[in-house]
Formats: sequence, C-alpha cells, structure tokens
Amino acid sequence: MSMPFIILIILALILVLMYNSLVAKKNQVENIFASVDTTLKKRYDLIPNLVASVKEYMQHEKSLLEEVTKLRAEAMKPDISDAHKIALDAKVTSALGSIMIAVEDYPELKANENIMHLQHTLHEVEEQISAARRAYNQAVTDYNNAIEMVPTNFMASLMNYRRKQVFEIVESERKNIDVKELFN
Amino acid sequence: MKSVSELTDFYYKNLFPTLEQLENKRKNLRYKIVIVALVYTLLCAAIAYTLVNFYEFIIFAYIAIGAIIYKFLIHDYTHEFKMSVIKPLIHAIDSSLLYSSTTHVSDYYFERSKLFEKPDKLGGNDYVKGQIDGINIQFSDIHAQKRHKNSKGRESWSTLFQGLFIVADFNKNFSGETVVLPDSAQSTFGDLIGHWLQSNNMARDELVKMDDPEFEKEFVVYSTDQVEARYILSNSLMKKLLAFQQKSSHKVHISFIQNHIYMAISYNKDLFEPSIFRSLLDYKVAMEYVKTLHLAISVVEELKLNQKLWSKR
Repeated sequence: MSMPFIILIILALILVLMYNSLVAKKNQVENIFASVDTTLKKRYDLIPNLVASVKEYMQHEKSLLEEVTKLRAEAMKPDISDAHKIALDAKVTSALGSIMIAVEDYPELKANENIMHLQHTLHEVEEQISAARRAYNQAVTDYNNAIEMVPTNFMASLMNYRRKQVFEIVESERKNIDVKELFN
Repeated sequence: MKSVSELTDFYYKNLFPTLEQLENKRKNLRYKIVIVALVYTLLCAAIAYTLVNFYEFIIFAYIAIGAIIYKFLIHDYTHEFKMSVIKPLIHAIDSSLLYSSTTHVSDYYFERSKLFEKPDKLGGNDYVKGQIDGINIQFSDIHAQKRHKNSKGRESWSTLFQGLFIVADFNKNFSGETVVLPDSAQSTFGDLIGHWLQSNNMARDELVKMDDPEFEKEFVVYSTDQVEARYILSNSLMKKLLAFQQKSSHKVHISFIQNHIYMAISYNKDLFEPSIFRSLLDYKVAMEYVKTLHLAISVVEELKLNQKLWSKR
C-alpha cells in the first residue's frame, strides 16, 4: 500500500472519530435534558396540589401562589425552547422556595399531614432535579469544550453546532444561609 | 452512639479483670509458642540435614505445618479473647447487635456489591449484624481470593480484597448501579491519560464525572445512570465520603446497588485478632480494636443514612 493512501485512511479515520465523538456528546446532552424534563414535569405536577392545600391559609401570599401557577402554565406549554425551560426552572425554584418559607409562618399549616407529605415529596423531587441539572451541566460542559477546542472545533463549525446553555444556580441559593434570619 | 474515647474507657474500665486474666494467658501462650517453634525448627533442621536433596520441599512443609501448629496453639486463646473482649465491646456500642466470631457477610452480598471480581474463595470472620438508628447494618472481616493457573498448570492465589466489608440500608430509592472506586489511574498516569483509561474501562459501566474536584481526585465513579449517580452522590454525601475516607486512612470502595450501600475498606490483614506478641493492655492495641469497630458502625451516623426521604418512610 502506498504512503499517501495510508495517510488518507488515517485522516479519514480521525475525521470519522471526531464526527462520532461530537454527535455522541450532542446526543448525551439531549438525552440528559430529557431526564431534566421528566423531573421538572414531576415538580409541575405537584404544584396544583400544593397551591390547593395552602390557598385558604395564605391570603397574604396570594400573589406568590398566582405567580407559581402562572409559571407552571407557561412551563407546561408545548414547544418552548430549552433556554426558556431553563429560565422558567430558576423562577419556579425561587417561587416554591418562598412558599415553603411562608408555610413556616402558619403553625397549623406546618403541622398539616398533607403539607408535610408535600414538603417531603417536593424535597425529594428537588434532589432529583438538582441531580439532573448537575448531570446536564456536565454533559453541556463536555459538549461546549468539544466544539470550542482544537481540532474538534473545525468540524463542529462545519456541522453548525452551537454552544449550549447550562443551568445556573438561583441567586438566593448561592448565598450562604443566614441562620439568624431563619430564627426570626 | 458511644464515641471512640468512651469505648476506650469501657475497654480499660469494664474489661480490666478479663484483660488481666487474658494477659497472663497470653504470656504463657507466647512462652509455649517460642518453645514449640524452637523444637520444631530444630527437628526440621535435623531432617533437612539428613535428606540433603529435598530443601525446597522441606522449607515448604516447614512453613505449611508450622502455620497449622501455630493456628492450633492459639485457637482457644483467640476464641476466649473474642468472646470476652470483642463481643462486650460490640454490645457496649449497641446491646441489640448480634456477633459471631466464625461467620462472615455472605458471598451473595459480596458479589452483589460489584466492587470486585467474583472470587474463587471467600473467607472471613467476626460478623456483626443488627440495627443502628433504625438502619440495618452488617459487617465482617472478609478475605476474597482469586485462583490463577500458569502455563505449567501450577496453581496460585491472589488477594482480591482483604479488610472490613460493610452492608447497610441506603436512605434513597434508586434502581441503577453506582460504583465508587479509589482513583488510581488519574493519580498514576495524570489527568489526561488517567481519564482516558477510566472512560475506556470495559469492565465497568459509564464513567461519571463528578462536580466536586476533591472527590474527583480521590475517587472514580461508574454508573448505569448519569442522573441517578448524582442523585445518590449529592454534594453533601461526597463531602461525607471524603471525610470517611480520610478517617479510615485505608482505601475505600463504595457501591450503591438495590437500595443498599456497600463499603469495602482494605486493611490487608485479619482484623479483631488477639495480639500474641504485644500486651493486651497496650494502648495502641486497644485503640485498634475500638477504632475499627467504631468506624464500621459510624457509617450510619457519618453518612446520615437514617435521614430517610418520604418515599422510603
């Protein structure tokens, strides 16, 4: 076999490997985003129950409940973009957090079996969402690295692959918890 | 649960009369072993002197028979030590814990953990089983070995694992399999090659890159499910496992399979065995028994396995 022919085969092999690794990374992102979607859906399913259970007590926080219901309705719409889903998730997380803090001000509500059950279920779903977000962020980081690093970036631009957005922690979760505030 | 210092206090205060008695027996036993060893060695040397051509065989027989004689000599003392020192120590931690000096965690659990290859020989002793804070836990000493045959058909054995093997209920529901192993590839070959080797490990499931750099440095994670691995290994659990690894100061293998956590802590020696050539009243000796027991049982507390989520209540 002549030398140029061998070089050509090696080059073709490298191109195929690069192409496949890019496709695998893109599919991994999509696959994990599907898991994120499933866990987010689980959380959206809990919202009507939560709102129904606390509505009567929380007259002062009515706007908060309306806000979370509105966000849910928006998130349940078909065909919204991934970036929009990510943005809505951050808003829902912060709204649900505020409701949970508000629950603490109603002793009767806090001791209610139904609310306790909801709180635990929400807590578990939050943990699952957090895991799915972390997995997604890792997949996106791998994908973004591949489309920006040499030599895969050339092939990625030919394939028209664009950077993807990661989930960011809600600003309130980034702050250290103020214990004093919790007891007030 | 009692702290290490409380248990050490218990060892010295409550077990002191027993320890003194055992200490006398230990001294007599040590004397007996030295005499038997001397006579046995002289006898073997005399045989070797007469049969000049069989050195290899004689040395092999000397070691093999010597080991059997040694085991026979220490048998009663070992049993008495375990029943009067190890058992009360375990009961001091929790009176409901069951202890057996001769059995070990079953082969089923060892294989189910997927931490090591299937062994050809599995032995062990000092089995403890019970509930701590409502969590089922069992652990024992385990020695798992693999058989090898060379081209000449000669058989040899290698150790897959020797040390403490712990099985406990885990506080989250999950369906996949996640395995956490000590990271030897990245520390030996560097990040780039190490990572490449890890991601191409055919014997394991998918590599999971964790978002805690310290944890990543110490461990490598394989799982059947990327999301579930992160659901199990929350940021706080990763921190706790790191702390546990530092506390044990031995290599730790961990897996999460069928709602159980499996932990294998390598010691490369038989644990909870009485010392023959060191005093039982020696502080270091006592601390070793106490620390190992405490480490195994503290898993429940350290990892907060009793904080069950709603779905497991």
